[in-house]
Amino acid sequence: MIICRCEEVTLEDIRDTFHTYKCSAREVKLRTRAGMGYCGGRTCRPAVDAVLEEVTGEKPGDDLPLKVQPPVRPVSLSVLGGDGDHA
Amino acid sequence: MRNRRIEEHPVLGSLRNRKAVSFTFDGKTCEGREGDTIASALLAHGIRQLRVHEESGRPRGIYCNIGHCFECRVTVDGKAGVRACMTEIREGMAVESGKVLPSPLNSSVFEADEMPRTYAEFAGKQKGDNKKEAPDA
Repeated sequence: MIICRCEEVTLEDIRDTFHTYKCSAREVKLRTRAGMGYCGGRTCRPAVDAVLEEVTGEKPGDDLPLKVQPPVRPVSLSVLGGDGDHA
Repeated sequence: MRNRRIEEHPVLGSLRNRKAVSFTFDGKTCEGREGDTIASALLAHGIRQLRVHEESGRPRGIYCNIGHCFECRVTVDGKAGVRACMTEIREGMAVESGKVLPSPLNSSVFEADEMPRTYAEFAGKQKGDNKKEAPDA
């Protein structure tokens, strides 16, 4: 079952990574890249959090939080300023 | 090209009188109607694959269709990362699908000792030119 579509991470990948490396929820996320793709985890974040909590037993918000920086949507740098020309 | 457009809608009524708009998808000319999104115009032609995953090459298309997930992103008139489900077609618009990107540091493709050191070397290996190093540009 696909959990994160942007990075093509399956439930099996997350389980395997946890069992192989015996690591924290944050490390599982960094190793598999679940929730770190183009959409910024806005699509799969609840699923990733729920799976990691179930697999690792860590609740989000423990010592090493699964850092969430939600943008409204991904935008290009030119949206933030300038017209894309090299000034 | 097959047309799967809904012309008679049970709620919206007849949808036959909207102006035709033509655009290109990967160089192929497609016709949609005014007010169509890129995704809906292509869906009407039976085109569901809008891009492939940048690394694995597996097909991607409409997923959420409300502008949330960016699964349908395409390149429009040279601008990458445009959501096909949220962008209305315009006359003459050039839409390009998402392609597989090079992964020169993927160790499953190359043995560690033959990893390319420059992009030119990588491009040479992609073409099967393993004997000679491509000159640096």
